[in-house]
Amino acid sequence: MIFEVYNRDLCVENIRITGVASSSMVLIGDAETVQLASIFDTPPESLIIGPFVPLIPDVT
Amino acid sequence: MLQRTSFVDYIKNTNLAFSSLIQLGDSNSIYNFSRALAVQREVEFFHEDEGHFGSYSTFTKPISFAPITENIQMVRHNLKPLIKVGKIDILGISSSSALHVGNTCHLINESRVKHIRHLQPREDQQGSSEAGRP
Repeated sequence: MIFEVYNRDLCVENIRITGVASSSMVLIGDAETVQLASIFDTPPESLIIGPFVPLIPDVT
Repeated sequence: MLQRTSFVDYIKNTNLAFSSLIQLGDSNSIYNFSRALAVQREVEFFHEDEGHFGSYSTFTKPISFAPITENIQMVRHNLKPLIKVGKIDILGISSSSALHVGNTCHLINESRVKHIRHLQPREDQQGSSEAGRP
């Protein structure tokens, strides 16, 4: 595939963003490759109702 | 290869957190990585050494991208080699995110978050003692 691009005028007045979160990107400019990955896990097992049990400790 | 120049008048940012980046200027390669165990407890009691990332598949499973099988050749004609922006106003940049003004070659961001909620048993419930399964 040949992807030919003609870049002409690009002018933006104002940008207002509430949040850029979890591997997001705001890019003003050019890039060759971009890889953004995010894992967000809240499965049913993550809701624990019961007596206090601490998490597995970090042994490092 | 001549690239475009970015021109921004005004940047305002309030929060920059957890391996996030504001880059003003060109870059070659960037890799932002963060991981979090977000534990909310009704009774706020925490041991000092709690939490081991490797115990949860959220943090161990590989992230695979679909392979690019197409051979792509990109040709750019920068007739107006300028990107102009007036004002940028961002409230928060968090968890391996980036605001980048300028050109870059390779930008890779990765974030992994596991939420766990510990609630007290209710009076009308026995409570479920099912612990977070790895």
